[in-house]
Amino acid sequence: MKKTIAVIFGGRSAEHDVSIITGHYPIISSLQATGRYTVVPVYIAKDGSWYSEPAMNDFSYFQVEDIDEKIGKLKKLHFSFDDGFTLVWSGGIKARQQKIDVVFPALHGTYGEDGSLMGMMRMANVPFVGCDLIASAVAMDKALTKQALQTEGVPVVPFVWFSRADWAAKNKELLGSAKKLKLPLFVKPVHLGSSIAISKVKTYGELENAIEVALHYDEKVLVEEGVENLIEVTLPMMGNDVVKFANIERPLNKTEFFDFSDKYLSGGKKLGGGGSLNGKYSELPAVIDKKLADKVLKYGEMTYRTLGCTGIARVDFLIEGKKGEVYVNEVNTLPGGLYDHNWRSVGVSGVELVENLISLAEERYNANKGTVYTFSSEILTKLDSAKLQRN
Amino acid sequence: MLRRTLSRFSPRYPRSLTYMLQASEYYLGDYFEWYFKVANFRKVENVERLDKTKKALVIWGAIWLEYLAMLFAVIAATASFFPTLGYWPLAGIVAIPYLLPYLATIPVLTIKYLIQKPYELAIAKKLKEVIAGHPGVKIAIAGSYGKTTMREILRTVISSSKVVAAPGGSINTLLGIHNFMKTLKGDEEVLVFELGEYYPGDVARLAKVICPDIGVITGVNESHLKRFGSIEKTVATIFELADSIGKKPLYINAENKLAKAAGRGSHMFYSGFGCGDYKVAAATSDLTGTNFTVQNGAETLDLHTDLLGVHLVGSLVAAMQIGHTLGVTDQQLAAGVAATKPFSRRLELTSSKDDIYILDDSYNGNPDGARAVIDFLADLQGHRKFYVTSGLVEMGAKNREVHLEIAREITAAKIDKVLFVRTSMTEIVAEGLKDSGYQGEVLWYESTVAVHRALPHLTVKGDVVLLSTDLPDQYR
Repeated sequence: MKKTIAVIFGGRSAEHDVSIITGHYPIISSLQATGRYTVVPVYIAKDGSWYSEPAMNDFSYFQVEDIDEKIGKLKKLHFSFDDGFTLVWSGGIKARQQKIDVVFPALHGTYGEDGSLMGMMRMANVPFVGCDLIASAVAMDKALTKQALQTEGVPVVPFVWFSRADWAAKNKELLGSAKKLKLPLFVKPVHLGSSIAISKVKTYGELENAIEVALHYDEKVLVEEGVENLIEVTLPMMGNDVVKFANIERPLNKTEFFDFSDKYLSGGKKLGGGGSLNGKYSELPAVIDKKLADKVLKYGEMTYRTLGCTGIARVDFLIEGKKGEVYVNEVNTLPGGLYDHNWRSVGVSGVELVENLISLAEERYNANKGTVYTFSSEILTKLDSAKLQRN
Repeated sequence: MLRRTLSRFSPRYPRSLTYMLQASEYYLGDYFEWYFKVANFRKVENVERLDKTKKALVIWGAIWLEYLAMLFAVIAATASFFPTLGYWPLAGIVAIPYLLPYLATIPVLTIKYLIQKPYELAIAKKLKEVIAGHPGVKIAIAGSYGKTTMREILRTVISSSKVVAAPGGSINTLLGIHNFMKTLKGDEEVLVFELGEYYPGDVARLAKVICPDIGVITGVNESHLKRFGSIEKTVATIFELADSIGKKPLYINAENKLAKAAGRGSHMFYSGFGCGDYKVAAATSDLTGTNFTVQNGAETLDLHTDLLGVHLVGSLVAAMQIGHTLGVTDQQLAAGVAATKPFSRRLELTSSKDDIYILDDSYNGNPDGARAVIDFLADLQGHRKFYVTSGLVEMGAKNREVHLEIAREITAAKIDKVLFVRTSMTEIVAEGLKDSGYQGEVLWYESTVAVHRALPHLTVKGDVVLLSTDLPDQYR
């Protein structure tokens, strides 16, 4: 009996399109390559509506001018949490249903990677791939991540953060505290990935505009110091209790820092056929000193544990090349394309990657089965309702 | 069923019938066996395409003429007797595509019995004279498998010193050889011929025309067993060359049990241990080629070929011995061996992109070939190994036995992953893997295309993928 895997992609996020790519390469293509699964593609449109039809397993389905028009002709998808997670196509004499064995989220950014979807999957009591709710929610907030890591002694660069409301109420004061940080600075929306709306600030005069840009995309912003003699590296990891490392990878900056187009459009590489999205813009494995590499592995695992990551995550690092100082920059709980190019470099094929992740999802699900969440109590029967109403 | 019915009315239908006849080598039994299994006549050309030879074009044209003639007859009858025929004209139009496969045999049989056979009879005597008049030494190769490989090895090894000519492709019929002889200049010193065997008597017929000076038997196995009916008949057909060649030298592959057993004391035997004056010492093979050492008396030759697999060392050393008897020096023979390259779709390294090695062995559809490549994979160190197969065809009564043996060999070779294209043959191999305690992973696919689509997601740097036999269209 084939397992039914729902791959969920798209979403209400600035990374909607990137999510469609990740959903197909490597997730759906690798699952299909095994011939062992029934793959159900689930697409969340930008307005939050859910859709699913078998043709969506083909990436070309989404390579049209107006996907919203195409999608608008389909029946919306509903779901039931009755005894697991079931997709429901309403309409007709009898609604069509599809029970899902494992959910494979491929959502980047808000309403997906931020723990929202994970919360829903927990409610549905279905195994799902990747980090759980708490790790996802914390990792999605770059400021909260740094606060958590600081507490556990993981080095991070000096930073300040504030909300849109804070900025509206006391922008001069906040600008002042940000200006206490050493230039150059980086201004980031705390919840967005794929380097969207991140600005590098070389003079304090540019700072206000950079903050305004970031706040246009997010309600919370992080201002942090840049690192001199910078070496950027990233470390994909996989596992629950036992963590497996991929190679340390060094992005080769084409612009001053990674931006969205560098990551996903560089090199004009074609998608599919197992080809890497990232093949041309990084050094893999990163050629760095062994002591630095050891620190990266150590802080990488500490970060994974501190945030309570499970399944897969990628930790980004900033290294001060001359002093040999390593800082954790951010954590990505659903790396674009699962960083399958990197996993392949350590001998993990696309198929092995997705199958390992499914096993880890089931392992976590089964381990949690033993957790007691409810208990019997007499509180309701013994409570004096008249007294309660008086209060 | 509906698709099969509707596809008969496609404009492609006459072409498909032509292709099916050609791919069946114009053997009507095979053609009809295929015809009754076709699910969609618009999609019979998958692995190969219609080769637009003169014969195929004539048959294709004739099928169209038959189609149009029947259509015209129905229209003419309708016009003449309207409206008294009722629904009969419609029934007539529907019936045409059902009659066409049978009528398609008319041009085939006409060409065969009114043109081809008389022409072959007429040219046989003349061709014999032409070949006899050619000054070159004639080498004839017979065998159930490995003929083309042997031909190319002989051509390359001996070409280091002599002018060698051989028909290209898989030309191994009287007509093919006749056309080949017309292309020669007359200064060739060695001619190499393959003798095709389809039915008993074929090898003898060709050998009688060629009158070879040297014969080579590459081996006998279950290939085409379906046509021969028994392995004994196959042996007898291949060894028609031995009967024809008489006391002239005949080289027999001793690594093939059936050929070795059928050989006689007067024959020369070759194997990975050597042939005649040439004794083979160590032989090793990996993805870069094959290295072996040959001793000829006091002389030692360290040899390298880009050909993959130690199973080819026997053929190489046989070619050296034959070259030696023709006056080629050891140094020239060594240069000839070094010049040999893998042949198309016969354990050919077709890609090493991203350090993933794809070996195409899809033309090697016989049990000995399968065994040889599995042995080759078993000897490769430091690689994960993938074996892709659709099974072997035309194994007749030995079908189950042959496929279970392949399964045992895969298990013994510790192949990491077996990728099956689902066929009745691969079901048997899968059963054999289970019985023999195979420890690797088995994956199933509905088509070769699906396998090719999946491979990039299954492989990583260093992996070796062996694309074993791909089924011809008629077996899909």
